[in-house]
Amino acid sequence: MKVNSLQYQHTHYAALGSPWSAKADRIQSATGILLGCFLLAHLHFESSILFGKETFYQVVQFLEGGMFSSDGHGMPIVTKVFSIFIMVVVMLHAAVALRRFPAQLGQWRALRNHMQGIKHKDSHAWFWQLVTGFILFFLAPVHIFTMITNPEIGPHLSAERVYHANAWLLYALLLPAVVVHAMIGLYRVAVKWGLIRHRKGLRKAIKVLIIYLMTLGILSLISYIMIGRSLVLPITPFVP
Amino acid sequence: MSQGRTLTFNIFRYDPQVPDDKPKMVKYQLEEAPGMTVFIALNMLREQQDPSLQFDFVCRAGICGSCAMVINGYPTLACRTLTSKYPKGEITLMPLPGFELIGDLSVNTGKFMRELAERLKLWLHPRNDEVDIHRIEAPMDPEEAAKLYELERCVECGVCVSACATKQMRDTFVGAVGMMKIARFELDSRDARSVEDFYHVIGNQDGVFGCMTLLGCQDNCPKDLPHMQQIAYLRRKMATALV
Repeated sequence: MKVNSLQYQHTHYAALGSPWSAKADRIQSATGILLGCFLLAHLHFESSILFGKETFYQVVQFLEGGMFSSDGHGMPIVTKVFSIFIMVVVMLHAAVALRRFPAQLGQWRALRNHMQGIKHKDSHAWFWQLVTGFILFFLAPVHIFTMITNPEIGPHLSAERVYHANAWLLYALLLPAVVVHAMIGLYRVAVKWGLIRHRKGLRKAIKVLIIYLMTLGILSLISYIMIGRSLVLPITPFVP
Repeated sequence: MSQGRTLTFNIFRYDPQVPDDKPKMVKYQLEEAPGMTVFIALNMLREQQDPSLQFDFVCRAGICGSCAMVINGYPTLACRTLTSKYPKGEITLMPLPGFELIGDLSVNTGKFMRELAERLKLWLHPRNDEVDIHRIEAPMDPEEAAKLYELERCVECGVCVSACATKQMRDTFVGAVGMMKIARFELDSRDARSVEDFYHVIGNQDGVFGCMTLLGCQDNCPKDLPHMQQIAYLRRKMATALV
């Protein structure tokens, strides 16, 4: 008699693996890649202020769909809609990434003991991703909500927000958190799915990117503060 | 070669069998000999200074996987670690975390490995259940055999488990050793289990989707097993499984 042991095992296993485990993992990586790439673009667009007010103005008009409007001016509604989309992606990413958070004190203790006892750089990198991820729970929505409620962007409008509405404090905290989180995240997603075989080069590239993006972000933040200081309230939007 | 140096060992000492014993670090000193490994040093310490010192070893050649411990913050095999690697001559030894402590540097990896094998059913499930000793065994493709052999090199030392922060935080996580062995049977053409069957074993938070890719396994495995590629392979395989 043929013993159909496999069928038995299949029913035994059935309770353990849920299709949602795979889905959650795919969603986390996909939303992570999307947000990481968006951050790379975002920081470059906003730092175009370093090339002068006019360059930044043109970049904004272009991104707000200026070529589709009759007067060539961009429409802030584009920013509003895109911000809502990013908010949804962030929420989705946060929801599935929560699976990774140590939820119990015992887990934090185990993590601390591990970090103290075992020397391992990638584990430490993950710890910083965890910390910055936690910070982003509070900082990222504040920034995105502002862009949903007040989507007006421009050399003077943004500078007013940064300097006169004190958004510089938010950005100064948000910048390091988001850059570190996103870059380590992109590195992890590449090794997680086996997109690369050797980590050494990628690790170096990520370090360089973190320094580069931080410099870019800090310089443009200073630039907005300088412009903000020179503005008289109530401000008039910049027109070239 | 740093010959004749005096090495200082800081060794974790604790015997759970002795009532009122408290975990402590004990300092030992020993003169270094040419080609000395941590394993040789431990044997000398036990012979010459403290016969109560507990640690495991069998083969002294990196094959049995018994002498794994944390050496200066790196989990590895004592028999494959030369003392000359440490220019300061100071060596701190801790037992592997994440396992039941037998005493001092000795941990019960065997119990863990057995439970894991039973839980994940880490043995061949033949395609044909009917036993016929007269049937000629089908030859295996040499390439497939080489792939299986590569994964079979695991010595179950427990280093990947100790080096994994995920495993330390989640006790039920199968760790790199579990996934390595699952991958071994997944690749084996003689095994009857389908991708879907394997999904039901490791397609969850305790399996491949619980792995956060911290890669302590990859960076510390004394046998240089390809954990990173292997787990990524399983992740891709499981992510596309139609469950």
